[in-house]
Amino acid sequence: MTAQPPSKPHEWETLIENFQSGTGIEKWNSLEPPLSDLLLSSLLRKDFPLQLKLQLLIFLDEFSTSFFPHNHLNRLIESLKIVLQSPLEASVYFTPLFKEHFMISVTSVVVCFSEEENVETVTENLVELLLTVINRPNFGSDRHTRAIACECLRELERSKPCLLSDVVGHLWSLCQNERTHASQSYILLFTTVIHNIVHNKLSVSILNTSHPMLPFNTPQCVNRDDFGSDSGLNTKELRRALAFLLEWPQVLTPCGMMEFVSMVIPVVVALELQPSMLRVQLFGMIHSYDPLLCHVVLTMFLRFIDAFDGQGEVSNRLLLISRESHHYLVFRLLAIHWLLGFNQLVFNKQQSSYIEKKSEHGNEACSILYPSLFDPLALKALKLDLLASGSVLRLKSDSNSSSHDDDDGWIDPVKVFEQGLLSVSSFKWLPPASTEIAIAFRTFHKFLIAGSSHSDSDPSTTRNLLDSMIFRTLQVMLVNMMLESRKLVPVVAAFVDRLLSCKKHSWLGERLLQKFDEHLLPKVKMDYKLVYCFPIFDRIAENQTIPPSGLLELLTNFMIFLVEKHGPDTVMKSWSQGSRALGICRTMLVHHHSSRLFLRLSRLLSFTCLHFPDLEVRDNSRTYLRMLVCIPGKKLREILSLGGTLLGISPSSHQTSFFNVQSPRPSQRFKTFKNLTSCIHFERVTPLLVKQFWSLSLSSLVVSNSKPDYLEGIRDLEQWDRLFW
Amino acid sequence: MSSGCSIRAIWILNNLDAVVFSRRFPVVEKRWRAFCNTDNEIEQLFSSLPSDSDLSDAFLHRRHREGSARGFGIRKSNSSLGSDSWVDDPITRHIIGLYINKEMEDDKNLLWPLILHIKGYYSILVLPLVEPRHVKAYARLCKRPDCGSSLGLDDSLSSLLLDLPAITGAFMIAHAIGDIITGDTVEPEVIINAAPSVGGLFDSLTGSIGISSRAKPVAPQSASSSPLGTTGPGSATADTPKMGSRPLDKDALRTFISSSMPFGTPLDLNYSNIFSIKVNGFSALDLPPTDQKQPAWKPYLFKGKQRMLFTTHETVHAALYDRDEIPDIISVSGQINCRADLEGLPDVSFPLTGLNIANLEVSSYHPCAQVSDQGPDKQGVVFSPPLGNFVLMRYQATCALGPPVKGFYQLSMVSEDKGAFLFKLCLMEGYKAPLTMEFCTVTMPFPRRRVISLDGIPSLGTVSTSEHSVEWKIVTGGRGLTGKSIEVTFPGTVKFAPWKNQMARSAFGTIVDEDSDNEAENASSMVNEEHFMEKMNKDLPPVDLEEPFCWQAYNYAKVSFKIVGASVSGISIDPKSVSIYPAVKAPVEFSAQVTSGDYILWNTLGKCPHVATV
Repeated sequence: MTAQPPSKPHEWETLIENFQSGTGIEKWNSLEPPLSDLLLSSLLRKDFPLQLKLQLLIFLDEFSTSFFPHNHLNRLIESLKIVLQSPLEASVYFTPLFKEHFMISVTSVVVCFSEEENVETVTENLVELLLTVINRPNFGSDRHTRAIACECLRELERSKPCLLSDVVGHLWSLCQNERTHASQSYILLFTTVIHNIVHNKLSVSILNTSHPMLPFNTPQCVNRDDFGSDSGLNTKELRRALAFLLEWPQVLTPCGMMEFVSMVIPVVVALELQPSMLRVQLFGMIHSYDPLLCHVVLTMFLRFIDAFDGQGEVSNRLLLISRESHHYLVFRLLAIHWLLGFNQLVFNKQQSSYIEKKSEHGNEACSILYPSLFDPLALKALKLDLLASGSVLRLKSDSNSSSHDDDDGWIDPVKVFEQGLLSVSSFKWLPPASTEIAIAFRTFHKFLIAGSSHSDSDPSTTRNLLDSMIFRTLQVMLVNMMLESRKLVPVVAAFVDRLLSCKKHSWLGERLLQKFDEHLLPKVKMDYKLVYCFPIFDRIAENQTIPPSGLLELLTNFMIFLVEKHGPDTVMKSWSQGSRALGICRTMLVHHHSSRLFLRLSRLLSFTCLHFPDLEVRDNSRTYLRMLVCIPGKKLREILSLGGTLLGISPSSHQTSFFNVQSPRPSQRFKTFKNLTSCIHFERVTPLLVKQFWSLSLSSLVVSNSKPDYLEGIRDLEQWDRLFW
Repeated sequence: MSSGCSIRAIWILNNLDAVVFSRRFPVVEKRWRAFCNTDNEIEQLFSSLPSDSDLSDAFLHRRHREGSARGFGIRKSNSSLGSDSWVDDPITRHIIGLYINKEMEDDKNLLWPLILHIKGYYSILVLPLVEPRHVKAYARLCKRPDCGSSLGLDDSLSSLLLDLPAITGAFMIAHAIGDIITGDTVEPEVIINAAPSVGGLFDSLTGSIGISSRAKPVAPQSASSSPLGTTGPGSATADTPKMGSRPLDKDALRTFISSSMPFGTPLDLNYSNIFSIKVNGFSALDLPPTDQKQPAWKPYLFKGKQRMLFTTHETVHAALYDRDEIPDIISVSGQINCRADLEGLPDVSFPLTGLNIANLEVSSYHPCAQVSDQGPDKQGVVFSPPLGNFVLMRYQATCALGPPVKGFYQLSMVSEDKGAFLFKLCLMEGYKAPLTMEFCTVTMPFPRRRVISLDGIPSLGTVSTSEHSVEWKIVTGGRGLTGKSIEVTFPGTVKFAPWKNQMARSAFGTIVDEDSDNEAENASSMVNEEHFMEKMNKDLPPVDLEEPFCWQAYNYAKVSFKIVGASVSGISIDPKSVSIYPAVKAPVEFSAQVTSGDYILWNTLGKCPHVATV
């Protein structure tokens, strides 16, 4: 499909939108005359609105590779020449802004096509044109155009390193002469050329201006095969150039400074200059409130970290930046991240000096580490990270250094932990979904696993972490939390799950569960609210390292409690809670050896099926009891875990049956599911409500291939349904 | 040159997640492709730029996955492996990753780091150039199957961010663009005594060149360049647009982007400078200085009547508890705004005094300034001023004069729907002339209750109620409070509409109380205040990470005031000691203005948030 050539502004806008969204581009590429010609002629038209022309220039810049034929680049340069060399009276429609944008777009297009053939001549023409523009320093009216032309040259030099190396002497003298605000662009252009000369180890004289600037020719060295392997750097001259450049940082904008320093650092390294000369000129910027400048100083500092001292000053400053409420939140967060990254780096490189710094500040340093009241929660979270990382470094330095003399300088990590946590202390009573709780548990995690990385080579031992005061404190804290606010139990359970699911730290979750078994179970109050604790009980029940006796005893007492409290008002409650308690028993049956459970569980189940007021619960406990008694342990576990899978697959029709409380299990192989029929068969012998009597027949438990189809499974499912109702 | 900052692309999306503006930088993209080509595992990365529609789809997808445009920021139980919140770091609400073309293989399509800045109805996304190894490092972070990185030991986001100044630069760009979108490009306010505030750079220009093109800055706007003034307690969350709708001025954006970063590498983000160069250009008569280089941040030199103005703007934050076990917190964040109408490129120096009393904690300066001879109570500041109004210095200090408003607020719920309260406040205690309190208002917000009626008359001032708050104007506009302190009291009762459990209509009602049958006893009438608060707190929605705490969980009164005459921190500049080199005769004026930030009286009888104060 061919479209009409665009002429009106809105038609051009449609075209641009098509290109931006990547739809319907083809129709524009088959225009006659081609789009590129149309665009160029439109740009030179005097009756076209300036804003549209600027928009077209940006379009050309962004999408040249999709529509501009590279063999037409010459026309582009010609057009640029027309615009740049237009007489003064044409400045009404070829405004300085238009000229500048035209230069930018053309440069961008040429850079994008620089890999194509025959672009070298085009590039030379463009460079020549741009050099003509910049070659009149301090001229009043076109100063900004000159600045932009410098930027264009810089981009060309960046895409083709050392392109301007032959004219570097002229550039330097222009750079020395320019005194308007455009001087930044001259400085950056000169720095770029110097950087590339040093980077490619080019032996040129940068003072030499005998080679004329115009007409411009691509230096021969750029196309040489061994380009970049010269080793005869003209060090003396380069040092002079660098000394000149370092005189002018104060005229640069923060963005310009970032660009400048990023180029100067490699030059300083290559010329083996004293990094202190950079420090003298630039370190003061760390006191600026501009985040860019702070990051520039950090970049420099990190590059020469071995040569500089004063890490303490840097990290202190970063800490203070994070306290400045003037800043946008994100910069305060960044400051903490920089500090974390910086400390890690410094610590790894020079452990001793970090310790020195820490002990210098002692209490005082710690107090400014704590979150402030009005710090946004995101910042509080990261400040808590900082506290946690402090305790990591402490752990590490303790284990690495033999002397503990500097104990005075250190704060007790438990105190730090508790004091830090005050800032989100409302997590104890806010609803479980609150942000404060999320942050508190995130912090628990950070403190808990502090000092134990996930890498396999990490030598930190289980013992270290378990003996840590943090672990003990946290365990006590979690137990108390669950006792005080049972709504938090699911959150604690999720926390334990997070640890359990981690290959490296699952033992931590396990140990927490063991501690809960020891300390939480004896203390819980026996009332209807006990069900709140069931998520944790489920985890305990699943864990083979925990002897089931404690939990079974508690559940037995709970069943007794339910039986005793049963009355007309609590019918539903007895049923739902009893079912859920049985659910935990079932979990135990799945995860433990029957012999370990037998005594206590059979007592619990027999009590339930004898005395429990609710019929379904009685039924179920009778089934479980029968299974416990009759089915050998391994097979019992297979059957029950099969049940779990079954229910995992089909959305249960039992709206409130205890299966809803089952934690999701990893689905098992479908094959086993099909074989259920071969294991077990239930049949109701007498109608419900008359008597509770079940016949349980077990087949030989041999895999039968006679009825392996899926429908069989469905039928069984229905039987299960019947079984539980 | 990885330590510089270059931008691959910028997108602006509206509140319907449609791209309304986009800009790509092919020269930067070329460098990215060059990086990718030298990288062996290129096939793992999304190596080109997405089209606008693909980006908008991916953004929408992320919003669905992460709950909001910003995302959780913290690993929650519903965070998925590979998502930003899986990294478990609040900064992932600001630096996001998008999976482009979700239906394709998902390893190849991670676009990171996208800087997300939400301003008004618009989401601004800026994609800086980083190396493929950085993207891969982030991909590893958000796809690690373990329980989350260990601080200081595992690979971390921190070292990645430290390594990438491009991200910092991209944030600066995103904020600059955000200000242009919302027209928030007002220069910092400088006040001269006995006259309205002075305009910015444009007025300097119009004074000298004779062009008038822009309205003056909005009059009393406290510290306009500071983000603090925009967020009050309990204010709308960060994801909610605060500004009214305003059509996107695409031409202004295009010009700004093309001028500030012609090739994707930012050179100057100062909107005033860029705008004035665009409008005014230069003439052959604008002569450059004869012996100095004119800084890039000062494209024009001032010509005209010379003078210097300094204004300190201080914002007082306070948490007053009136409890023995929790000390009150009072802090001042201040800034010195300056305007130097001086010809040429002079250096200005002055000693900053009062640092000791102010207990100056942090001070940061404009890039043009340098600090010299730091003494215990003195700090020399030397600077070469830019044109127009600028923030010379920012600081955090303590309130040397003590809290301008102190006292207590007690609120006790006598029944579920009726609260008795008492204020006893002392204003301006120890404050001497010329310190003048221009106004002082106390507000009791009840965002979750509807106020029906109010009984009680304050000892001074007037009271008004709105649906969700009670406002007590103690000192009003007309008569300021100078040279004396006053004590005021306000006892009363406030009646609310009956409390309804909002669980059903709450947006966060997904937290279904599965054990509602166990809560039967709770339904019985609850007279105990603590239980009632507990009941109310049960359906509190979680707050955004940008809030300091869940404001709605507490009862408090917020004080707002304005004080003029001097700073409350004690920091000051003596106009006589300001020296200018080369010497010129220019009058120097100094003024001060203090406003309240989060100035909170916590209910002495209720819960209150607090922090460690070692």
